Amino acid sequence: MPDLHGLIYAYHSSSALGELVVPRTSASLPFCSRYRLIDFALSSMANAGIRDVGVIMQRDYQSLLDHLGSGKDWDLSRLSGGLCLLPPFGMHDSHFGEYNGCMEALSAVRTYINNIKQSHVVIFRSDLAVNLDLHEIFDSHLASGCDITAVCADCSLKGGSSKIRFVPDTPNTSKQMLFSGLGQKEALSSIEVYIIRKSLLVELIEWSRTNGKQHFHRDALAHYLDEGGTVGLYFHKGYTAHITSVSDYYSANMDMLNQGYRRDLFFDDRPIYTRGRSSVSTYYGDNASAKNSLVADGCYIEGELQNCVLFRGVRVKKGAKLTNCVIMQDSVIGENAVLNHVIADKYTAFSDGLVLSGSSVLPITVPKCKTV
Amino acid sequence: MKKECIAMLLAGGQGSRLHALTSRSAKPIMPFGGKYRIIDFPLSNCANSGLDVVGVLTQYQPLQLNSYIGSGQPWDLDVQRGGVYILPPFQSAGEKGEWFSGTANAIFQNIGFVDMWEPEYVLILSGDHIYKMDYSDMLEQHKQHEADCTIAVIRVPLDEASRFGIMDTDENGFVYKFTEKPKKPESDLASMGIYIFTWKKLKKYLIEDEKNPESQKDFGKNIIPSMLGNEEKLWAYDFSGYWRDVGTINSLWESNMDMFSPELFDLYDRSWPIRSRSPIKPPHYIGENATISHSIITEGCDIRGTVTNSVLSNSVSVGDDAIVNCSILMPGCSIGNGAVIEYSIIGENAEIRTNAHVGAAPDDFNNIKIATCGPSSVVYANAQVEAGEIVYTKKGEE
Repeated sequence: MPDLHGLIYAYHSSSALGELVVPRTSASLPFCSRYRLIDFALSSMANAGIRDVGVIMQRDYQSLLDHLGSGKDWDLSRLSGGLCLLPPFGMHDSHFGEYNGCMEALSAVRTYINNIKQSHVVIFRSDLAVNLDLHEIFDSHLASGCDITAVCADCSLKGGSSKIRFVPDTPNTSKQMLFSGLGQKEALSSIEVYIIRKSLLVELIEWSRTNGKQHFHRDALAHYLDEGGTVGLYFHKGYTAHITSVSDYYSANMDMLNQGYRRDLFFDDRPIYTRGRSSVSTYYGDNASAKNSLVADGCYIEGELQNCVLFRGVRVKKGAKLTNCVIMQDSVIGENAVLNHVIADKYTAFSDGLVLSGSSVLPITVPKCKTV
Repeated sequence: MKKECIAMLLAGGQGSRLHALTSRSAKPIMPFGGKYRIIDFPLSNCANSGLDVVGVLTQYQPLQLNSYIGSGQPWDLDVQRGGVYILPPFQSAGEKGEWFSGTANAIFQNIGFVDMWEPEYVLILSGDHIYKMDYSDMLEQHKQHEADCTIAVIRVPLDEASRFGIMDTDENGFVYKFTEKPKKPESDLASMGIYIFTWKKLKKYLIEDEKNPESQKDFGKNIIPSMLGNEEKLWAYDFSGYWRDVGTINSLWESNMDMFSPELFDLYDRSWPIRSRSPIKPPHYIGENATISHSIITEGCDIRGTVTNSVLSNSVSVGDDAIVNCSILMPGCSIGNGAVIEYSIIGENAEIRTNAHVGAAPDDFNNIKIATCGPSSVVYANAQVEAGEIVYTKKGEE
């Protein structure tokens, strides 16, 4: 068992995700037919043998609580430790309202952090679609001797990439952080997943509190580098998507139709676990047709699909034609309806014969439970 | 701890008529209907009927069965005051211990387990039938008629009746005659192999039957006839829904094909869900040039070719230009590019390589011959497997 503790930020959703994050935070955003984004963080941790994971949440977390349950789907329901949900709790100096930055969120749960038994902590964003080998990253962290290691990836092709970059001074270390995507081509983009020595994390939280600082990169990490600290760098080669806008969300789902990307995320050695639903298999009717599509279990398809991502329990009635769509759980598409570039949230219904068309740059988002 | 009724599920049989598919695992965990294993049906029925103690009697090739059932969590049977219990044959102090020699003997050897729950009634189930039944309704009738034993019965075509235990009932619905697999059946009421016994009575008969060296220690052949002989009250519980014994290759194939007809059997009905243990797999992918109709597809599949009228379990891959028609593909099997699979059952993890041809459409639809490829078997490139042929390990040349 690695001497490593997991910590996931699930308190923040980018407002550019619009309607998609009204009923939830981005951590529980449905992705690729049957997953929620937080599954990637949790599974990466579970696959590395991490047993204790804290999830920092603040508001709109009902959907997330429902998804996580006891954590048993990620083998994180344990007699001691395991999954620990960290909603805001009243401390004498706590304030109400959204956390202004990561350091403020960490500070709000500092009693939990102070009690962490492990010597190192991995901090993971919950709006990433990535399958990380945290075991190898942890080895690299220990080998580098650095107190903090940043996981970097080539996000240049993917939307929503982080603006934080590190300029390497040796192939595996950096002493300089950049806050924009411009210049210094050799700089590596951070995916904002870090492994940090627990003692340093506690120190940075205390420093931020005393100095009224709220942000992880701009304040705490900048302070650490100013004091002469070194950041270890680990480069992750597989598919990585930061999902911070509707357009990121749409393109990341469409990316999953690409076999190479899909195999970067889903493979037998490090499976992505999710909450089970135990549905039936999917049925394709006599006149059904499907091309280049991903379909979860429990669907009933009598119409046509092309370049679509369908979640569990979707019903596509006779004559309906879906092209370039992302259709979430239990939605119903009426007979002869024609949808193109549509993101339909859970439990939506489209009436017979309806025609709805967005575009790849501006897909139409239909909010949860809406009947069109 | 006291329970009104507990279930005992007989899952130790070899399924010898399905030997090509059951050489490495017991029949009850045979993949079925895409997502399921046969044992999911009785287990889900128990859970849906509110029975939360299920003893599963195992004997033949139990490893996969044991790990499939696990804690019983997929069926919501992992409860504190009850649960699923795997019951293999065992040894007691001072005794030699022995294999289960018959269905009744299996329960006899587990009298201790049943007594632990102090039940009034015991439900006996077998692990090789596809059906949905509310056992609580059957129990209600058992109590109402103050029966000592209630046997679930279904009407079968008279010409098939000799495959079943057949019974005759009087005008009140009580059984007066029971014949196991009669040569000349006189009635079309077949036993479904589902019994509810008043435990005290059953225990007495099990102990007596054990003393009889001539007995085959079987419910149908011994226990029921001796209860009838002693004029105990045997009630017939009339069942009219879908029920199939999938003991042969053809009945297994036919019953899988029935899953396309919701009017026969509706897997999509959420009021009586059939649950299963899911493998951890991504959604299935349908390729750019795939054609797919009238088929059941499960997670983890990767379909590039043509799939029609077929049932695919999880993680099946179908290559480019491959054709799969009227076939059952079990978990993890792979169909190579250009291969043709017709009227076949392909076992778990079997490999059908490029341009191989397995099975054929029947000339006579009253005599369908299903080709079978066993688990982990290999059909090499360009090899041909005839209609009705069985491939155990390999066919063709590398």
